[in-house]
Amino acid sequence: MAEKIFSKIPMATWRWLGVNNATAEEELLAVADTRSFKIPAGTDKEAVVVIRQEQYGKIQVKLGENSRLKLTYVQLADTDKDYAGEIEIQLSDGAQLEMAAVEAGGKKAVSKVLVNLAGNSSRADVSVLYLGDKQRVLDMNYVMVQSGKKCEAKLEVYGALLDKAEKIFRGTLDFKRGAKGAAGQEKEQVVVLSSQVRNRSVPLMLSGESEVDGHHAVSIGKIDEAKLYYLMSRGLEMAEAKKLVVEAAFAPVMSRITDTELQGELQHYIKERLSDA
Amino acid sequence: MEKKKTYVEDIERTLYDIRNEDRSSYKVEQGLTEQIIRDIAAKKHDPQWMLDFRLGSLQEYYRQSLPEWGPDLSELNMDQIVTYVQPDAKMAGRWEDVPEDIKDTFDRLGIPEAEQTSLAGVGAQYDSEVVYHSIQEDLVKQGVIYTDMETALREHEAIVREHFMQLVPPKDHKFAALHGAVWSGGSFVYVPEGVKVEIPLQSYFRLNAAGAGQFEHTLIILEKNSSLHFIEGCSAPKYNVTNLHAGCVELFVGEGARLRYSTIENWSRNMMNLNTKRAIVEKNGIIEWVSGSFGSHVSMLYPCSVLHGENARCEFTGVTFASKGQNLDTGASVIHAAPYTSANISTRTISKSGGQATYRSAVKVTEKAHHAKCSVNCESLMLDDISRSDTLPAMDIQGDEADIGHEATIGRISDEAVFYLMSRGISEDEAKAMIVRGFVEPIAKELPLEYAVEMNNLVNIELEGAMG
Repeated sequence: MAEKIFSKIPMATWRWLGVNNATAEEELLAVADTRSFKIPAGTDKEAVVVIRQEQYGKIQVKLGENSRLKLTYVQLADTDKDYAGEIEIQLSDGAQLEMAAVEAGGKKAVSKVLVNLAGNSSRADVSVLYLGDKQRVLDMNYVMVQSGKKCEAKLEVYGALLDKAEKIFRGTLDFKRGAKGAAGQEKEQVVVLSSQVRNRSVPLMLSGESEVDGHHAVSIGKIDEAKLYYLMSRGLEMAEAKKLVVEAAFAPVMSRITDTELQGELQHYIKERLSDA
Repeated sequence: MEKKKTYVEDIERTLYDIRNEDRSSYKVEQGLTEQIIRDIAAKKHDPQWMLDFRLGSLQEYYRQSLPEWGPDLSELNMDQIVTYVQPDAKMAGRWEDVPEDIKDTFDRLGIPEAEQTSLAGVGAQYDSEVVYHSIQEDLVKQGVIYTDMETALREHEAIVREHFMQLVPPKDHKFAALHGAVWSGGSFVYVPEGVKVEIPLQSYFRLNAAGAGQFEHTLIILEKNSSLHFIEGCSAPKYNVTNLHAGCVELFVGEGARLRYSTIENWSRNMMNLNTKRAIVEKNGIIEWVSGSFGSHVSMLYPCSVLHGENARCEFTGVTFASKGQNLDTGASVIHAAPYTSANISTRTISKSGGQATYRSAVKVTEKAHHAKCSVNCESLMLDDISRSDTLPAMDIQGDEADIGHEATIGRISDEAVFYLMSRGISEDEAKAMIVRGFVEPIAKELPLEYAVEMNNLVNIELEGAMG
């Protein structure tokens, strides 16, 4: 089956790392299930998008001036099929986005998320949870473009990798010239639970503007042994203790999902996946 | 204000910008052909295997395309580059025997003075050939070899053949292939088992001819439990045509050995600096890189450390200062290929006056490298609105026993810090200069004193340009 480039990092780097492009099967990318919506100026909206059956989904959102959107995006696509997801969000002056994204389904799941902080004093706070297990491939490309003055972007990513999973997370803070007073933060924390995992992280920070404040940090490590030891000293089995530690790592994203039914479903889904590992 | 800016840059850079008349005794034609490679090999009396290696590399050069990432290299026209320029001088063992104009150049750069005061050996390359080499007698008695690559190829052929371009094979990339085809000059160092070279050795590379390339090869081999500090310096006068530097550095750090490799690179602003540096470190060995990139029009420089033996370590400390007309793409890469290996990468980049500074890094942890640890820290400072600063780190980790951390920041000089210093009676310009010096201080303190002073001078030149 022929593959084509689905997404690229905004600035290419060494080829030997294999992180410049994400590819997907041409057939998969033929027809997209597209959702577009606009948030009128000055209004607040909450939206929940759950992916279950689609194989290629697109979401396009425009936030009007001083509008607010709380977006929950949960990708639980069929784990026996490939999935491609695209999200594009544009923020006008004073607009605010709070987004919780869960990337957990798909056999090979590719996703690209573009948050364009075009408006002055716009804000985007994006939290991502990813879970890779079995022989699944997760390939994510999150780009926060900061072109508005005093705009603020926050990208926090929490992941767990098990079995023989492969994952690439590309997260970019792109400060455009003129984005005076902009601030950006990116953080990725990964817990690795298997010696056969392949884990690639590419946290880019690009800047054409001096009057900015940008930070990014990545932390990759095995599960905290002190935490495990403590939990096991309280009578938990190793597997149970590990599960609990991973669930705790995901708490910052899970707590943003206000739909309690969905949150419960997700907790159950993650528990099952961890049990199967 | 503009006048001061020009004045300072003109005066201070004179040291590096003085051109000597091109009195080369032999030059190949411009361009890159099989005949040119054969001419270079004949001129250097290469053994047959080396000629074959050069010709194989040339084919590899033709096969490879330019990189699809990094700075634009389209202005580089190999048809206009002279790949071999033999100066009108024979390799000398005494400064007195070096021709006057060449000696004057190195005198001005402070090389003979440094040799007398703080170095155990010196090599000086002018265009394509090494014109001077010396080493202290007591090191020779301990079996240390420090010589030019051509002499090494004649006198230690087996060692050279075993190691030459094994770490950086010509197929690695287009400019490694180019290097393999046209390399000339450079230094060879061999430190036997257990020998600690307490005082640094230094090689200085000067490219004088306009429109020429310099392709020196540095090969350093440290046997078990030995140690060495090697310093590399480079500069060139400015011309209106493109010059090319595509050197290659291969460092073999044996079990328990320790190598510090320090570079202050100050090429002229018409230079394309496409250098490749790589080290392989065996069990309990340590490689320490200290790297300052100030010059050149375009640089692509990412020293790579392959931590091959258990508990091998890498320390990388780098500073890059990109000013007007410069696109400096620098960084480092580390490959953890054995258990309990560790690396610490710390860099500072500064961009101003339209300069573009890119920090690029890669950390690879293989399946075998359980309990690997790596910490990467990159801080970028932008001094104005017309410059760029980009950070592109990548991590590729296999297994569950690695501990990897990466942190980066980007920003400008804090107004509060400037205000505080000004409230203590310091002028605004001096306050900013102090902050920048503080910013690069972690790098400066890793350099030998003379180089720290040189780096501070370079920072001062650039800041006068920015703030004057």
